[in-house]
Amino acid sequence: MATRPADLLLGRLMRRAVAAPPVPVEGRSAAALLRTWAPAIAIILLMLVLPSFVPSYIQSLVTKMMIFALFGVSMNILWGYGGIPTFGHAAFFGFGGYACGILIVHGGISNFFVNLVLVVVLTALLGAGLGIPAFRVYGVGASDNPIYFLLATLAFGELLVRVAISARTLTGGSTGMSGIPWPDLGIPGITVNSSYTYYFLVLAVVVVCLILVYRLVNSHYGYALRGIHDNERRMQALGYNTWLYKYTSYIIAGAFGGIAGALFAYFGGVMVPGNMGMAMTDIVFLIVILGSASIYFGPVIGAVAVVGVEYLASVYLPERWPLIMAALIVVVIMVIPQGIGVMLLDLWRKVFRGRAA
Amino acid sequence: MAALLEVEGLSVHFGGLAAVKNVTFTIGEGERLGMIGPNGAGKTTLFNLLTGQLKPSGGKVVFKGQDITHKPVYARTQLGIARSFQITSLFPNESVLTNALIALQGTRAGRYRVWGVFKRDKALYAAAQGLLESIDLWEKRQEMVSSLAYGEQRKLEMGLSLASGPELLMLDEPSCGLTPTESKDITERIRALGKKITVLMIAHDMDLVFGVAERIILLHFGEISCEGTCDEIRANQTVKDIYMGSHKASTAAG
Repeated sequence: MATRPADLLLGRLMRRAVAAPPVPVEGRSAAALLRTWAPAIAIILLMLVLPSFVPSYIQSLVTKMMIFALFGVSMNILWGYGGIPTFGHAAFFGFGGYACGILIVHGGISNFFVNLVLVVVLTALLGAGLGIPAFRVYGVGASDNPIYFLLATLAFGELLVRVAISARTLTGGSTGMSGIPWPDLGIPGITVNSSYTYYFLVLAVVVVCLILVYRLVNSHYGYALRGIHDNERRMQALGYNTWLYKYTSYIIAGAFGGIAGALFAYFGGVMVPGNMGMAMTDIVFLIVILGSASIYFGPVIGAVAVVGVEYLASVYLPERWPLIMAALIVVVIMVIPQGIGVMLLDLWRKVFRGRAA
Repeated sequence: MAALLEVEGLSVHFGGLAAVKNVTFTIGEGERLGMIGPNGAGKTTLFNLLTGQLKPSGGKVVFKGQDITHKPVYARTQLGIARSFQITSLFPNESVLTNALIALQGTRAGRYRVWGVFKRDKALYAAAQGLLESIDLWEKRQEMVSSLAYGEQRKLEMGLSLASGPELLMLDEPSCGLTPTESKDITERIRALGKKITVLMIAHDMDLVFGVAERIILLHFGEISCEGTCDEIRANQTVKDIYMGSHKASTAAG
């Protein structure tokens, strides 16, 4: 079955593992809606009280999980919904982070919200620029064989790494950019000056972004993307300008990735060129694969797993954590190829609805 | 009868192979034109040229007086051309209903909406009900397309082509792989479309072609080898030679 390189690499992972059970359009009761959303609401409430009960290093860990959850979800717009895998999503993450840092340190823009808007605009422009050549090599219906697109996006990321290393005055060169301060919200009475307060800011931004992306993937636009994933030729024959959908989804995914990058820049106070390259793309790939590309919250679960395991491994086996990570991914692909998210969803449905998905 | 589609000297080459050579014909409004020919005659290639999936090496395609030779596939659909596929081409991971919803959305306003909830779009839902009822699949709307029987998938295939409300419907082997009963059912459905929709149909199934088409074109080695009404085609010696095989036809081909 798997004969082409792209199949070997991705074929098994890319198949949409579960389709959501058909939901009647006739409308759902408030109780049904509440039952669907209860876990998400419960998790948000839990997240709000969590920092009061855990030490600060756990707060930082959870903050990082949230940032990477947004990063993973942003990539999943492309991959899980559009069927467009990319090896260059970290380019947007790192670019967003650098843009944020440069705007503060060199641009003198301290306001968090102004900064965030500028980061979104700049990463969107980057996506608009890179998307044109990238989708020229993607072609039509390439979710079967996206190898050229993968290589092109990989090259973009590495290109940006080189740029960041050479533009020393702006980016600090290969040692990276440091001294990015805590964000200034510009709202009287609210200051963010510790990992404790930053936790809440990240929670707010990530929750808002996740809601926006959720609306996006369930909108008319989102279903067009799903259609392109399944059958791009048919979509064209139905009257959809599929190129425009792919191109804009690349820009949108990039912009959300950029927001995640900006949050990460504030979080560590540091950006290094490697944040735009292959190593960071590997991490987001793991997040999406481990968590399931086929369900919306998959990458959130994946981020918790990857960042959690990374932390544990770096504490107990500091020099071997990539090995642990590699072992984890092999085990997941062999045992639950659809990812942890699908497994949990099946479990959830079994427990609460008395039936398997 | 005004011409809906005019094809002038259309050709395409794949390297040294001329798959479609200098094809010229017109389809009038409301006409049902059948296209027959042996395997490899270039029927599907010609279809792909007319729908824009392939770029022609030469020639011109005019639809409703507008030159569409270089228009992309989706733009032709917006103008009123729809096609079905010989190899069933649906959204297998979605329900029948979602297939219909996606198909209908293709030519409607709001297909770039990023905020509304697609599955709660009432106007779209009503249209999907109409579409699925017309192909008798409304009862199965919640089923995954991949779990449908093949005959039902073929019906949905035709249904999706009708979703854009086309003026010109291009059917590529609509009865491909169906049982004679199912094939008869498809024949009836195409006839039931009436005069509002012009049909261009490729078929190997002669019962279907003679049951549906008013005029038939025979394509052989990428060229129109003859053209006429059903009766003329039935009586034509070239058709007999090509289909039954004769010394003359095979040497002419070789």
